[in-house]
Amino acid sequence: MGGQWKRILVAFVAAGGVVGPQTLAADLSSDLSSDLARLAAAAPGTGHAPLAAAADTLAAIPPAGIRPALAALANATPAGANWLRSGLDRAVERLGTEVSADTLAGFVTDPALPPRARSLAFGWLEARDGARAEDLLDGMLDESALDLRRAAVAKLLAPSSADEVAQREAHRRALTAARDVDQVEAIATWLTEHGEPVDVADVLGFIRRWRVSGEYDNVGGVGFATAYPPESADAAGSDPADWKGVESADTHGAVDLNAIIATKKGVLAYALATVTMPEAGLAEVRVGSPCAVVVWVNGRQVMAHEIYHASEAIDQYVAPAEFRAGENTVLVKCCQNEQTDPWAGDWKFQVRITDPLGLPLARQGAVEDSR
Amino acid sequence: MTRWCAFLACCLGVAAAAAADWPEFRGPGGRGLAAGEAAIRTTWSAEEGIAWKADLRGRGVSSPIVVGDLVVVTSSSGPRQERLHVIALDKATGEQRWERSFWATGRTLCHSTSAVAAGTPASDGERIVALFSSCDLVCLDLAGRLLWQRNLAVEHPRAGNDVGMGSSPRIIDGTVIVQIDCQGDPFAAGIDLATGDDLWSVPRDRIASWSSPLPVSLAGETAVLLQNPNGLELRRLADGELAWSWRGDCSGIPMTAAAGGMLYVPSAGIAAVPVGGGEPAWKGAKLSCGIASPVAWNGTVACVNRAGVLVIGAAEDGRVRGQVRLSGSFWASPIVVGDLLVAVGKEGITFLVSTGDTPEIVAQNELPGTFTATPAVADGSLYLRSETALWKVAAPD
Repeated sequence: MGGQWKRILVAFVAAGGVVGPQTLAADLSSDLSSDLARLAAAAPGTGHAPLAAAADTLAAIPPAGIRPALAALANATPAGANWLRSGLDRAVERLGTEVSADTLAGFVTDPALPPRARSLAFGWLEARDGARAEDLLDGMLDESALDLRRAAVAKLLAPSSADEVAQREAHRRALTAARDVDQVEAIATWLTEHGEPVDVADVLGFIRRWRVSGEYDNVGGVGFATAYPPESADAAGSDPADWKGVESADTHGAVDLNAIIATKKGVLAYALATVTMPEAGLAEVRVGSPCAVVVWVNGRQVMAHEIYHASEAIDQYVAPAEFRAGENTVLVKCCQNEQTDPWAGDWKFQVRITDPLGLPLARQGAVEDSR
Repeated sequence: MTRWCAFLACCLGVAAAAAADWPEFRGPGGRGLAAGEAAIRTTWSAEEGIAWKADLRGRGVSSPIVVGDLVVVTSSSGPRQERLHVIALDKATGEQRWERSFWATGRTLCHSTSAVAAGTPASDGERIVALFSSCDLVCLDLAGRLLWQRNLAVEHPRAGNDVGMGSSPRIIDGTVIVQIDCQGDPFAAGIDLATGDDLWSVPRDRIASWSSPLPVSLAGETAVLLQNPNGLELRRLADGELAWSWRGDCSGIPMTAAAGGMLYVPSAGIAAVPVGGGEPAWKGAKLSCGIASPVAWNGTVACVNRAGVLVIGAAEDGRVRGQVRLSGSFWASPIVVGDLLVAVGKEGITFLVSTGDTPEIVAQNELPGTFTATPAVADGSLYLRSETALWKVAAPD
């Protein structure tokens, strides 16, 4: 049966035709699989018409087609995920209560489905039965879908009449589960105010102990692409000696180069840290800076952003990097430009190394003045 | 005379206004002008004169558009504002017809005064395109079916701006124009509305701007004007080739107004630059724009400065004809409806101002919320969008 006829049949069934959805689902499987694969693999920028047609097919699937479509999100490209979602949302909207709340709840708690699929299903369930969705959050403190984990943490911390002992325990559990900075800070504030001081920078895993070298010329932005000695030496694995040991006391691990070197314009500095990783493998390097930054891990460049004074945020730039078990070096090149606007004075950066969910992985020993 | 008309209109509770769709940022052609002879109400509040109010999922600062019997607006939600929404409401009732959601594929950091849903959608009457700060561009039909999508930050990995991208897409003769101005990988592109494919793409200066493309006629041919702090570029619609440029100080946020072959360029004041010309015909330092864009019509140029003063000048020489102090701050661009200028303050007060030589506040009406979106007007109704809700001011009885 051709794809076009299959689509007509699907539409016929959706309109109340005589063929049962289960029968159709079995019959449809190969075509549906083909469409799901096509949607999931969508490349950006091209081939829209066949993808729109495949999304139409997806929008017409029977209830039994929802789960395989959700599962297809596991390996979808960014464009593919949105194509799948566009068809899935329409399908669930069309099917209404043909997909029961129990079924939706089953998707949410199905560990075999990817986090994005569980999150999407949670949204459908929330729209259908908010209380049912809310109940599911109780088991989601370890959820790998970050939005669901966040909601679970928020629920755990919701105002209650529980006594302080119970609230304290809830906050301790929440601190372990939380991955979002604002939640960590709110929890830390509560615990600190209740006699349990929390070091936010430590919980979030910011690298605080660095050796700094600078300043170097960046007039006209020339330094961003210039390999000054610390950079060349890092690449060669050698030990330049002009490092100055510093330790950030900032809550967010910011290394303030204006304070360490001088308030200057058109300059850059390097900062080198040694971190210990529990095991070898990929981890995320997460950097925040209002200045242009380049970062190397063990001498290999992992990110370069020539952006000046266009906001700053924790985890502003994220890149994967290969680490080895034990000691690793992280080298940051932080460039200040010559803007004179009052909001363009900061010259600083912050770095942490985490897993994909934001759990800090890197640990540090004491600061050294030089290697 | 104008003053008397405005006074009379106020007494009657109505003013001249639009009758057509409002299909894009600042209305048809991006001029900020309501065509037609319908009427809008001049007095309203949260309790009276409101046809409907719709609470919106998430938040946004984009403007609503009106297409046929739909009002379409965008928003974003989620812990990282990573969920993008295009929402279509029934124009008559405010009931939601459909909502389509997407995952952002680009950056979603932005300043608190902006939003990931900052660009206003656009429509040709059959399709809707929406561009988000994450550089995700989606095209839907009027039933909410996704026709194509472009993940421009995937295609250009350094495209984006953590202050927030604010440019709105523009549809001109079947071509979607996007202006992605940033420090990373800036470009402008003409995209086929029917297929989603690039017709052309050109690099831009590595500098941020929040300006939107504007259709401008040059030698009888429609071209697209692109503005950044370094100046103006006029590019041919068909192939993106540079047809004309002007280098000079331009604002990065308020966008140029075009009328009668002249470009009224926000800079230090306003510079009146002839389309295709060189030196400005005049510079009016007192015609100073804040965040809001100027509006030009019928030999008049008006702007709201950072102090909240509406200044009205003569388009021929920049001479200030009059000014009136409004109150509050203004992020939404003013629009002109008949003889009235509509200026929506961030704090929720909408000022209706007569546009004669001595501008006067005809009426001011307050709604709750934070309003930074430029209003839409259609069929005698104003559509006012706060960060979290959309209000339809009822057409007069």
